[in-house]
This record gives sequence, structure tokens and C-alpha cells, in this order.
Amino acid sequence: MAADFKTAQPVEYYRQFLKKDVRPDGRELGEIRSTIVNIGSISTAEGSALVKLGNTTVICGIKAELCTPTNDEPKKGFVVPNVDLPPLCSPRFRPGPPSEQAQVVSQFIADVLKDSKMVNHEDLCIAEGKIVWVLYCDMMCLDYDGNVIDACIISLLAALRNVALPSIEVDEETAKPKLTSSTSSTMTVQSLPVSTSFAIFDNSILIADPTNEEENLATGVVTVVTNECGELCALHKPGGSSLSESQIQECVKRSFSRGDEIRKLLDETFNSLDR
Amino acid sequence: MPLDSKRIPGPRESFPVTNFISTEKDNPDLVNDDGTRHDGRKPNDIRPIFLRCGIISNAKGSAYIETKDTKVTCAVYGPRQVVRREDFKLTGTLTCDFKFATFSCQKRQQHMQSSNEKDLSLIVLQAMEPAVCLEKYPRAQIDIFITVLQNGGSALSAAITCASAALAAAGIEMYDVVVGCSTRQIGNTCLVDPAYDEEYNSKTGGKNNGSLCLGLMPSLNQVSAFIECGELETEILMQSIHSCVDGCMRIYPVVRQCLTKSIKSLQKHQDGT
Amino acid sequence: MTSQRADCGNLELRSQSCEQNLLSRPDGSATYCQGDTSVIVAVYGPAEVKQSKEFLDKATLEVIFKPKVGIPGCSEKFQERLIRNTCETIVLTALHPRSSINIIIQVMHNAGSLLSCCVNSTCMALLDAGLPMSCLVAAVTCSLSCDGDIILDPTSQQEKEAKAILTFVFESRDNEIITSNTHGIYSIKQYYSCVEACRKYGFVSCQSPLGTTNTVEQ
Repeated sequence: MAADFKTAQPVEYYRQFLKKDVRPDGRELGEIRSTIVNIGSISTAEGSALVKLGNTTVICGIKAELCTPTNDEPKKGFVVPNVDLPPLCSPRFRPGPPSEQAQVVSQFIADVLKDSKMVNHEDLCIAEGKIVWVLYCDMMCLDYDGNVIDACIISLLAALRNVALPSIEVDEETAKPKLTSSTSSTMTVQSLPVSTSFAIFDNSILIADPTNEEENLATGVVTVVTNECGELCALHKPGGSSLSESQIQECVKRSFSRGDEIRKLLDETFNSLDR
Repeated sequence: MPLDSKRIPGPRESFPVTNFISTEKDNPDLVNDDGTRHDGRKPNDIRPIFLRCGIISNAKGSAYIETKDTKVTCAVYGPRQVVRREDFKLTGTLTCDFKFATFSCQKRQQHMQSSNEKDLSLIVLQAMEPAVCLEKYPRAQIDIFITVLQNGGSALSAAITCASAALAAAGIEMYDVVVGCSTRQIGNTCLVDPAYDEEYNSKTGGKNNGSLCLGLMPSLNQVSAFIECGELETEILMQSIHSCVDGCMRIYPVVRQCLTKSIKSLQKHQDGT
Repeated sequence: MTSQRADCGNLELRSQSCEQNLLSRPDGSATYCQGDTSVIVAVYGPAEVKQSKEFLDKATLEVIFKPKVGIPGCSEKFQERLIRNTCETIVLTALHPRSSINIIIQVMHNAGSLLSCCVNSTCMALLDAGLPMSCLVAAVTCSLSCDGDIILDPTSQQEKEAKAILTFVFESRDNEIITSNTHGIYSIKQYYSCVEACRKYGFVSCQSPLGTTNTVEQ
């Protein structure tokens, strides 16, 4: 009976729940689904992390390659983030070139990576003007159940912190790179941005960490990215119903607390790895 | 390479580290003196298998298989409407999409499906087709999507096992499941379920050097897929096939157990609501 | 119509001008200039829609963003999505079910504050096309310099030197934010002061376009 009502009147179905300040999956309005992080599970990648946000699953694998830097910035390496939403993760995606959604999410992640200064690109320099590292960070969604941006950013952050690069030097005689020691060095991640997304329901109600269903019914979405210094790296609201100042304040506040939770979770996960 | 405008662009060219630094081990012999392999297995041992169904919430059926370093995930969608009208057939259509994740191999893979991946898609598709009762799904399409998250050797046989488990979990009517197993033949030694360094080792063992992948429908005792490359004498090939079938028979209980478990949890879920 | 401001201080917008109905083929068109930044927009619709993109309860809105040079990539797709979502909020798409509305944005010159110029231009073109809208929008870009000064409607040089660039789109009814897009790092306090600074001009801009239409029609 409930299932029929949900199919016929999805918005009304949600309203009945939201009236009582609860969501159909049992969460409160500001509650975020349980987050699981698994680091370094792919040994063929230089860094990797799997993040589960409820059902939404994203795996980020980082492959490092060598390349020549640009003439303008001879000391800077490259970080290339790309999000893949394969047809495997949801029936809404079809095989072929990246969907619009994938392109938009990729661009947003690339912007966050650049704006928050997560990586010092000069750390990726091997020999100035000759050879630098390029980190291909590919985030692949394995299960699409909404809020893929948050999951992607957490997986990127965790995978970047997991990156271990072999130490390489340029041989002066042959001008070719050579391995100097077999130990690999980890990379320093300079800032730790975490994003929190909200959906706006019926032009007024804010719900955190929307599922796919909630995203489809929402009249707008907001994504707030915060770093560990209490600053904002992005407040992205692409259209949708308007928000008052106090509602924005609420979102920002929630994302600061969420940011701290995630950074703590990542620290704990890394500590348990070291032991 | 043409510029891909639908992805974030990187530098024009880049080279894997392995181009400059040889990572080959000094000892390329695949079998140690005491008859064990590098990872301590006996030649006809298979690696421990972890198989689970129903890991992708959006898919009709899904499965994940992990055999030590090889990790493959598969999703099945459908039966759903055929996209193009011209593709209408009175029997159902099965499609298969096989992809290595960019970070799954030693060398970075491209986003675009390579010709090798297209070949593998076709092999898996042809391995599945005899097992699925396609005449039960007229004018419908069933899509199989396979992603290799990490290739630690024998990715194809893992993909076959994984795809048939996902099909079964999706409730698609089948005559039998298909279980995949591969072997690597070097001389007279036959290595079952080869790891990455065994599968891609270029060492030649004299006359007989080849690899084999076989898809078996265990309860019908029929072979649905069989791929061999390299040069093998007929007798050695027969031995190799027997080792493969033997390997499949050992994997089969794992698949059965996994499917029983997923059906049970499904029942429990239905009883609960 | 051109609104010229004598003093081009940091808290002033650059001179703005707008012309509507300058293309003969589209149903609506407009060009908008903010200083040297200029964008031309054409609107087609409501017209027939491809069956695969059809919605039963509303019109399909599509935005195509053409950069000045080169082929469009991910960042153009990102802008397209942003502008499309903004337009979907204001255009009453439910009045034209099973039809398409196409918006083509061609960048003529980018001298800073491109996104806000695109949104303003699109709004004017939609108005020219006579499509029913629930309200108007006005976009304002501002940049935060390293010492925390706010510069409204920055030039590309100012954008390059800035610590953060923020673009807001306000609707004309309650003057609330419907779109917010930011680059760079800033504090929450700075965010609000930027919103306030921009809102003031968003309100002015929202009023003046109406004046523009009237002059053109007369």
C-alpha cells in the first residue's frame, strides 16, 4: 500500500514524512548516512580509497605518471581529477562518452581541488623544466544513490593522502629518469576540504545528504565545501528555489561540523593503517 | 591521442614510470625448485575466492568477486526496453560491457574502451548467451556491465563467474550458471588460476606455452566458452582443459553458496516488510 | 540603454549596456555588456522537442554555451548547467509542456565577471522572447582581494589577483539568492559582506532592465 502511494504521489509521500521531521529512510532532516572509508585497497594504484555514503559508493584510484611541465610553470606538476559515472552504477546512465552529470561533477571537483589548494603542485616536481609527476585521480562511482559529490571529495582526499610515489631523479648523463631508492614517499596534502550537500524540498525544507530519490524530488541543491581552518572553499548553489540568509547559515554550520567529523574519521582510518 | 573535451584535460603526453625503470624480477621462473609458485600455491591450487551478490543497490542484480589481488564488480540491468526500434528481436538481447578501471593495471588504462576490452566484452557475452533463457524475454534487453577494479591475473575468468552470479541474482532465468577458470601452461607445468606475473609472463617454456580460459556450466557439464592462445600440443591441451574444468568445479560451490545466501536474505527482507 | 557611472570605485559596477532584439532569426535575443565583457544570447522557443528529451509536464530547457575560442569542454558544461538551473527556476516551463526552449550563449569578449554577464544577458533575451517568467534575475560578481577588500564587477586583471571570486544571482521578488558560485577561499563573514554588497546592485539591475524593454519597444 505504502509502495503504491509512493509511486503514484512521490512528493506527497515525502511531505507526510517531513511533516513529522523524519525521512522515509528513518533519518532526521539533518542526518547524514553512515560513512565508511577503506584506504589503499587497490595495490595497482599509487593511492586509492573506497568511500561508502549509505548506498552511494565511490572508488578513487590515483595513477602517477611522468611528463614534461609547461613552459610557463616549469616547477609545477599536474593533478587531473575525473569523475566517471559508468552505466554500472545506475540505470540512468548509458554507455558512451561521459554524461553531462559526470562532466559537471568532474569540473566541480577540479575547481575545489584548485581553489582549496589541496596539493602543492611544486611538490610534484622532479627536475625543474624537465620532468614532473602527473597524478591521474579517477573517481569511479560504483553505486549511485545521490550525493555523489560528497562521496567523490572524501574519496579524493583519502586517496591523495594515501599516495606513495617512488623516489626518482634525473640521470645527468642520459637525461633519463632513474629510481634512486626503492622506498616511496607519501605526499603532503595541504588542505583538507570536505563538502556537504543539502537538498531543498518544497522550496523551504532543507535535508542533508540527499539520496537519489530525494535529489530528483528536490527543488534545489546546495553544496558547501569547508576546510580545516574554518574557511569556505565553495558555496555552490546552481539555481533552484531561493534561500534566506538564515538557511544558508544553517547549511554552513552543519557543513563545518560535518567537515570535522570526516577529518576525524580519516585520521582514525589512517592511524589504524599505520599500526 | 585526440583531445577529449568531455573530461578534465591533463598534460599532452605522459609516461608510466615503468617505461624508465624495470620492475621485472631477476628470477622469472614461475615455479620454485620445491614445486610451489611465487605466492606459495601448488600448481593446481586456486586462490581463495570471496563472492557476494547484491552490492549495487540500483542494479537489478550485481556481484563482486575478489580472488586475492583480482577484484571485479558486475551489474545487471533489465530486462528493459530496447533502446532502438531496429534492434527488436523476438528473443531477448544480451549485451555486455567489459572495462578495466583506469587504475586497475600496472599501466594506466584509458577511459575509452580499448579493442582488447571490446574483445573481452564479446567473450563474456558469448559465454553467457548459452546459459540464459533468452526466448523468455522477447523484445527485451539485458545489460551486463563489468568493471575490473584491480587486475591481479585471471580477470577474464573472474568476470565470467561474476557476471553469471549477477545474472542469477537479478532473477534472469538461466539453464545453468557459468563458472570461469583459467590456466597457464608452461612446458609440462600447468598453473591453475594464474596471478598477474604468471599470466603476463613472457617466459617461454620450450614447445608448450599458452594460456587457457574456460567457462563451464557445471550442472549441465557443458562448456560455454573456451579461449586458448599460444602453442600447445593436443595432449597437453587436453590436460590443461581438464585442469580448468577441475578448477571450475572447485569454484562452483562458492557460487552456489553465494546465490543461496542472497536468495535467503532476499526472502528475509520480503518477509520483514 | 546605457547606464554610465562616473566614479568607477570598487563598490560600483562598470558601465553596463544592453540591446535587445538584435538578431532576426531567433525568437528572442539580447546582448549585454559590462565594461569590456560582452555576451550575446539567442533564445528559440517554445518549439518542437525531440521525443527522447520530452517532458510531459514541462518544457525542456537547453542551454548551449559557446566560448570565444576553442571547443567547449567540462567548464563550459558546468556553466551551462548553472545557467540552465537558474533559468528553470524563473521560466514557467509548466505552461509549455512537451516543447523545447533553447538558449544559446555566445561569449564575445571576456574581460572579467563573465558568469554574471551571461546570466543578465540570458534574462534579457528570455524577456525579449516573451516567455512567461515568475520573476527576473540579476547577477553580480564580486572579488575579494588579498587584504579582504570587496571589488564589485571585477575586471579579468582584478580576478587574477583576487583571493576569491563570488557570483550571486538574485531574483527580483524578494531579492533572495537563487544561485551562488564561488572560487577561492574566504570566511563566512566575508561571504555575507559580499552578498550584501552584491544584493544592493542586484536590486538596482533588476529594476533597470524593465526600463530597457520599454525604451526598445517604444
